[in-house]
Amino acid sequence: MYDKTVRRRRAVLGLLVVLSLLLLTAYFGEAPSGRLHAVQRDFLAVVSPIQDGANKALKPVRDLFGWFGATLSAKGQRDKLRTELDKLRPELVAAEAEKRTYQQLISLYHLERLGLSDYHPVTATVVGKSPNFWYSVVTIDKGTPAGVRVNDPVVNGEGLVGRVVAVESDGAQVDLITDSSMGVSARIGTSSATGLVVPKVGEPNDLLLRYLPANTTPAKGELVVTSGTVEPPYNSLYPPGVVIGQVTSVNEESAYTSVNVRPAADLHNLDVVDVLTSGAEGRAARLSTLTSNLPAGQGSGGQSEQLASTGTGG
Amino acid sequence: MSQNPSPALLARVAALSIAIVFFQIGVVSEVPVFGVNADLTPLLVVFVGLLGGSMMGAAAGFAVGLLVDLALLQTLGLTSLVFTLIGYWAGRLRELRDPRAALTPLLVGAAASAAALVGYSLMKFLLGVDAPVSFELLRQIFAGTLVNSIVAVPMFSLVRRALASALPEDPRRRRRRRAYTTGGLSPLSKA
Repeated sequence: MYDKTVRRRRAVLGLLVVLSLLLLTAYFGEAPSGRLHAVQRDFLAVVSPIQDGANKALKPVRDLFGWFGATLSAKGQRDKLRTELDKLRPELVAAEAEKRTYQQLISLYHLERLGLSDYHPVTATVVGKSPNFWYSVVTIDKGTPAGVRVNDPVVNGEGLVGRVVAVESDGAQVDLITDSSMGVSARIGTSSATGLVVPKVGEPNDLLLRYLPANTTPAKGELVVTSGTVEPPYNSLYPPGVVIGQVTSVNEESAYTSVNVRPAADLHNLDVVDVLTSGAEGRAARLSTLTSNLPAGQGSGGQSEQLASTGTGG
Repeated sequence: MSQNPSPALLARVAALSIAIVFFQIGVVSEVPVFGVNADLTPLLVVFVGLLGGSMMGAAAGFAVGLLVDLALLQTLGLTSLVFTLIGYWAGRLRELRDPRAALTPLLVGAAASAAALVGYSLMKFLLGVDAPVSFELLRQIFAGTLVNSIVAVPMFSLVRRALASALPEDPRRRRRRRAYTTGGLSPLSKA
């Protein structure tokens, strides 16, 4: 009797472990359009309305817990923001002057400004989030009927949040910029040198801007924004000029410079986000129209990338 | 647990698992504490194992892991594998040691959370995630374990309350009965 129990217990354990390994192997080996991925998407379609309902019902509970944390950190944030405000005032005056020049150039070349509102933003509520720091994933309550598609950029009032990786009728899954699968082409402030922002796995509050030319000299506190490269077939998924974060420190590497970046968006407290439903193809088409408005000899090659960077990016 | 679990127990574990997973995804994951989120799912698995035995723990671990991976579009099978092992371990702990100290839920919860976080990280490294073993990674594991330890005791009470009437034999009741029959704690023995 005892032997039988032991055998059965071990058999159950062995069966479940083998089943897990089989799932893992099959999932890892198949394409995103594969059967197991499809099962996951179908599951998402089923649970999205439930998650949405549960999110609305439990919002007061979440707000209550969030209130304690927010109150504790509010004082520190206030002092920090006052210092930042003092620092930014002179920069604002300079930026106003540059803005006037920019508007004159826009009217001179008959160019259209590419603001975020031109990317047909769809406002969505975050209804679920992964607890595991290896995955930076959230679920939102808008899906295919709202025009959301895979690879659409997701932003909020603070900056870039991530991109859509799966869509169903009642919801979508968004990989945050701190997820290990992410990579965003970006530049620092007004510099034209571009690099690639990648997450630092295990460090959920940090990003790394890599592959900047060695002679780039970024300063601490400078903004890192999306470069929005439009250079077929390597179009960036993200509009130009969207704030990703701020430079916190610079790493010296042999051939390239890399900088540590703190995300601008508070990815721990996401409630409402905007999905930019007009994707890279739409942007490329718009830019080709814009280049045709340029004076002769200025509309080819790398010029289109430069144009992409003139967007306000919200 | 030597006998087959009753349908009532299976139904309760299934209902509890679904409720906890959705509560985790919808609420707990959005409330950071010390820069990390509490994760109730490994606690649920380990306490089901502690109350229901190794087979129940392993099965609950597999099911909860699968549910988490499906709901969050994570690598299918990864959480199932880690949770199956910690559920089985908790069940074996109950079968071999039958721990009775008041701190058992806290210690078992902390150990299971640490094992889940370390196991998960190891699996991700094995699967080829390009990440250094940084101080921040270790801090995340430590802080995650600490936060989970704080919620372990109330979580154990919740799981025990939810499953109590469906469990074939409550370990605490059994211990109390054993203590009385051996005379150790019986008020009659002092008379």
